[in-house]
Amino acid sequence: MASSSSSGLTFKLHPLVIVNISDHYTRVKSQLNPPPLTSTSATVNGVENQQQAPRVYGCVIGVQRGRTVEIFNSFELLYDPSTHSLDRPFLKKKQELYKKVFPHFYILGWYSTGSDAQESDMHIHRALMDINESPLYVLLNPAINPTQKDLPVTIYESELHVIDGIPQLIFVRSSYTIETVEAERISVDHIAHLKPSDGGSAATQLAAHLTGIHSAIKMLNSRIRVLHHYLVGMQKGDIPCENSLLRQVSSLLRRLPAIESEKFQDDFLMEYNDTLLITYLAMFTNCSSTMNELVDKFNTAYDRHSRRGGRTAFI
Amino acid sequence: MDSAIAQKTWELENNILTVETPDPSSDSIFYYDEAAQAKFQQEKPWANDPHYFKRVKISALALLKMVVHARSGGTIEVMGLMQGKTDGDAIIVMDAFALPVEGTETRVNAQADAYEYMVDYSQTNKQAGRLENVVGWYHSHPGYGCWLSGIDVSTQMLNQQFQEPFLAVVIDPTRTVSAGKVEIGAFRTYPEGYKPLDDPISEYQTIPLNKIEDFGVHCKQYYALDITYFKSSLDCHLLDLLWNKYWVNTLSSSPLLGNGDYVAGQISDLAEKLEQAENQLAHSRIGPLGPPRKKEESQLAKITRDSTKITVEQVHGLMSQVIKDILFNSVRQSSRSQNDQSGPEPMIET
Repeated sequence: MASSSSSGLTFKLHPLVIVNISDHYTRVKSQLNPPPLTSTSATVNGVENQQQAPRVYGCVIGVQRGRTVEIFNSFELLYDPSTHSLDRPFLKKKQELYKKVFPHFYILGWYSTGSDAQESDMHIHRALMDINESPLYVLLNPAINPTQKDLPVTIYESELHVIDGIPQLIFVRSSYTIETVEAERISVDHIAHLKPSDGGSAATQLAAHLTGIHSAIKMLNSRIRVLHHYLVGMQKGDIPCENSLLRQVSSLLRRLPAIESEKFQDDFLMEYNDTLLITYLAMFTNCSSTMNELVDKFNTAYDRHSRRGGRTAFI
Repeated sequence: MDSAIAQKTWELENNILTVETPDPSSDSIFYYDEAAQAKFQQEKPWANDPHYFKRVKISALALLKMVVHARSGGTIEVMGLMQGKTDGDAIIVMDAFALPVEGTETRVNAQADAYEYMVDYSQTNKQAGRLENVVGWYHSHPGYGCWLSGIDVSTQMLNQQFQEPFLAVVIDPTRTVSAGKVEIGAFRTYPEGYKPLDDPISEYQTIPLNKIEDFGVHCKQYYALDITYFKSSLDCHLLDLLWNKYWVNTLSSSPLLGNGDYVAGQISDLAEKLEQAENQLAHSRIGPLGPPRKKEESQLAKITRDSTKITVEQVHGLMSQVIKDILFNSVRQSSRSQNDQSGPEPMIET
């Protein structure tokens, strides 16, 4: 069912959507399994020890510009188990509300939780097709698997394929990238690592900033190593040569150096000089402030208007 | 993973306590106990003690939504409401949503259609499984810090009379981006005429000259609450995995470019303050009359602190730029084979 998408659209997902879906799921799960009360009854409604994994449903909204689809936000929807479809009037209501605050966002598709796309999901998918002719299906797998390395979020699109002579709509997987704005990145960073919210000393600020960059560079380094290892293996002949991969690596290498022009060097040096200038000014301000304090203290210590007259040492 | 080790060492050195251990059973904070909340509402322990609520716990989702919404407003103030519950002397914020009002400093409270929006939204939320009530409001002060203005104070006092328990949160998205850490403050006002027993020590922040009067007049009428954050176990897990894709954004962010005019504004504001300080100092030839109190700082010392802050932020931004330049620009094509090296180094150094 899940083969590779061929629609050519690029998908960008914002972390807010992921946190939204996760929160929705945690909430619903938590209401179904109330936390154990401290009173005597061990099993309140019998569902205590069961780990129910409810499916939650919702809508994703965002912007589509040309071939790029950017998913910004999401909201919850009600699922009607009897008709196996989403509650339509509720959807309309929510859409209106969100349009007032975010007028640029359109409904791009829907989301759900689970481990894999199911047949019944196609029903819901089809129902949404009248709002958006090619909706997306974002699936989050809420199972916490400590060995997992990759984000358990998949985006599916629907495509018309001919199977056994019958044209059918099936789900196909699409790749996506994580896109973010600066403010979002800082808050995600903040939540993820729970950095100290107050300033701390200048040293902790510096340490925090550099540690962030350091971790990112370590990741980059490890990825490059993997690639390098693979290429060495190919050179030795252990791994069969794959030309498309080689072409990609070669184009990647050719992109370095990233920017190399006179104008960039000039602008860069100008920015560098600006920062140095600001530092210089700050140092000046600091020095004059200290001098001012010194002069004040001097004046207090050697007060010429005092009765004793002349300069006297302050005991 | 090396980054995990680096993170752990840093956390250890800075005594970071994770608020919630990533354990599925500790997700109990997400459970909404209607009966307990109703009982608390009836008891009203805050009616007798204006300083009753001391802490705020904000969920990951609420923080993210508020910051993104605040940033999307640009230089215009935006506002919204927060939903949550109370827990002893802490207010817990579970979620936030934006209101369709354009903020101006002169607006006292939201207009009629904002109320309608609020009612509609709360209803749909209850149906969708979000059972909490509105427990506060948030708005943004883009570029001029987290504090309550005169209008904000009167709005909050009104709210605290009729809609208790209520919390006011202020976010500064511009300073967040510039400083690289979230600028947020949570406040509750004192009732009319109440004088706080002790002077609460609040963190110093620089206020632009045109707002400093408004700040000074009202700063004694409210107090700040401690903010902590929490996230669910699933959130922890997802955020850890997110890092695998996210490191690209960390490396590619360039705060210097985004905040150029904010920094320029700060510097010109500092220049004005310096002029004022100069006038003040010129008039006071005579030395201080008595030993100056420890808490008061001269105007000049405050200016020095502000200038240090601006500089530190600029230097951090420049550091990222220089690192990126070394990583990606100083490489040349070479026919030599590369030996395996430890540590992050560019492919070939010139």
